[in-house]
Amino acid sequence: MIEFSNLNKWFGALHVLSDINLSVAKGEVVVVCGPSGSGKSTLIRCVNGLEPFQKGGLIVDGTELGGSEARLRDLRMEVGFVFQQFNLYPHKTALENVTLAPIHVRKLSKVDAEERGRALLAKVGLGDKMGNYPHQLSGGQQQRVAIARSLAMQPKIMLFDEPTSALDPEMINEVLDVMVSLAREGMTMMVVTHEMGFARKVADRVIFMDRGAIVEMASPETFFTAPKNDRTRDFLSKVLQH
Amino acid sequence: MLGNLNIRVMLEYLPDIWHGFLATLMLSAAGFAGAIVLGIVACALSIQPLRWLKWPAVAYVDAIRATPLLAQLYFLYFGLPRLGVLVPEMVIGVIALSLNSGAYVAEIIRSGILSIQRGQVEAGMSTGLTYLQRMRLIVLPQALRPTVSPLIGQAIVLVKDSSLLSLISVVELTRAGQMIAIDRFMPIEGLVSTALAYLVLYYLLKLMAGLWVHQNRLPGRA
Amino acid sequence: MFLMQLDRVMGYWPVLLKGIAMTVSLSVLSLLIGVVLGFAFGIIRAGRNRTLARLLGLYVDFFRGTPFLLQVFIVFFILPVTGIELSAFTSGVIAMSNVAACFIGEIVASGIKAVPTGQSEAAAASGMTRAQQMRHVVLPQAVRIVTPSLVGQFVLLIKDSSVVSAIGLLDLTRAGWVMVQSIPNGLLVFGIVGLSYFIICYPLIYISRRMERRDQSTIL
Repeated sequence: MIEFSNLNKWFGALHVLSDINLSVAKGEVVVVCGPSGSGKSTLIRCVNGLEPFQKGGLIVDGTELGGSEARLRDLRMEVGFVFQQFNLYPHKTALENVTLAPIHVRKLSKVDAEERGRALLAKVGLGDKMGNYPHQLSGGQQQRVAIARSLAMQPKIMLFDEPTSALDPEMINEVLDVMVSLAREGMTMMVVTHEMGFARKVADRVIFMDRGAIVEMASPETFFTAPKNDRTRDFLSKVLQH
Repeated sequence: MLGNLNIRVMLEYLPDIWHGFLATLMLSAAGFAGAIVLGIVACALSIQPLRWLKWPAVAYVDAIRATPLLAQLYFLYFGLPRLGVLVPEMVIGVIALSLNSGAYVAEIIRSGILSIQRGQVEAGMSTGLTYLQRMRLIVLPQALRPTVSPLIGQAIVLVKDSSLLSLISVVELTRAGQMIAIDRFMPIEGLVSTALAYLVLYYLLKLMAGLWVHQNRLPGRA
Repeated sequence: MFLMQLDRVMGYWPVLLKGIAMTVSLSVLSLLIGVVLGFAFGIIRAGRNRTLARLLGLYVDFFRGTPFLLQVFIVFFILPVTGIELSAFTSGVIAMSNVAACFIGEIVASGIKAVPTGQSEAAAASGMTRAQQMRHVVLPQAVRIVTPSLVGQFVLLIKDSSVVSAIGLLDLTRAGWVMVQSIPNGLLVFGIVGLSYFIICYPLIYISRRMERRDQSTIL
């Protein structure tokens, strides 16, 4: 589904991604972790074409990235993205947030889009909040609306960029639960997160990044019990202490 | 000093002040309508990516912002006849007001658009919306709301600026007040009546801005 | 034809220079007085004494709500009636400093209100008086907030100074007016006048934009 080959990216002189090689199969759940500034967010932003890269290749769902804007748009219809800061549209209700793209991009009728939107909001446990505006919802609720918004495009791949980092601790689980059930349904997912419980539960592979490179890649079993790299061990000792 | 005001004279000239008031209102309304159109066009050109369309808009906004309205007014007043354009002073005045305020309107709309968080646009991108769809559905609905108050502010500036039209002998409020001064050698009465009439417009517009801010927070906000 | 006229305009360069000098000195003098008065206005407007703040608010509204041209006339015609004789220059400086103080005052007041109350609470907790809190904690932060708008006000002031040409002061705009009487090419004469204003104002506009955009993320 996703195929990085020797991908490199620079911000000016800063080498933010170096020689990334990674392939993610259909239905696979990959968790990406690493210290801040390690390039993990940039990595998954590349998958959705939100970040350009300078060298190497990236093929997502059969489409080579770096092509025209129109092809990029076709690709984005198949790839959902969930942001750390939710980025809900403040001038639209929860339901309108979910139906906007299906109506204007997928050209669904308003009735069909709303039917789909209601079902999705119910699925993420917000059946009673459809008419609320984002500022009337808690952070956890907003993030679940954002997940429903991405799912409404019926994507083949879902990307999550630290979806729980901006949330109060008591709200983290309601979002993770939605993500777990999504993973169990067989969605192809790349998730940047430090929620190691989530990684243990559903990840097929865990990737550790540092200074723009993939340092370690293993099954959760091996990753948590027998990490090979010193930097991974160091990182794990910090996040798993609590 | 105000104790010596000759109220009788002020009342006697009330019809003239009223006519001046209406003239100022019409000139300002016409000027503002032109400014909105010019402002939208200039803003649209300045945020689109093509260079050769962008720089005329930027040059226009900068040239207006860095020079006084009075100089712009004289430029047109002494310059248009030279180009063979012979139009009444009133028309020159309205053109000058529109050109001048148009640049500020462009800046107001532009900063409304720039105030939208990058993440809003990315959210639109990630679901496959086109540039125009993102503008129309996500950016503009959020960007235009906060521009209303500054636009009313610009309308206030324009009403006051229209007084400069008296210097190219357009008869409006300021000119009407001067006529009392000239007719009766009573500058104070003329100036005070004029000032009060301008204040009426000022407070009306300020009230509108206040009402807008009060009623139009984000939809559904308590 | 054009070159001849350009040559004649150039013959007027002493007038042009005089005009520029007048525009700059009017603006700088009024800015200095306006900033001092404006900070005083702002502190009162944001202050605890609400009656005083409202009274000053009415005064400020009068000058924010009426055309500057009218204010110039008021200073020039009304003050002499009360026995104060003023030159056109003094009248101009008074009108300009006053209007500057009114606008700057409101900016400063909003700057003061934008400083979080926790700041003055922290200062109060460490035993500072109201005046000390204002001087050492609130004002320094407010100054930082309002500086870009102050630069913008300076530009407005330079442009406002053109209006005092109406009471006969030979500023840049009046210089153009004088020239156009003998050189009948308004586009050329006021083009040069406009260019002179642009050269004075644009650097200031550029600076204020840079300051405003420092912390603004751009989406385009």
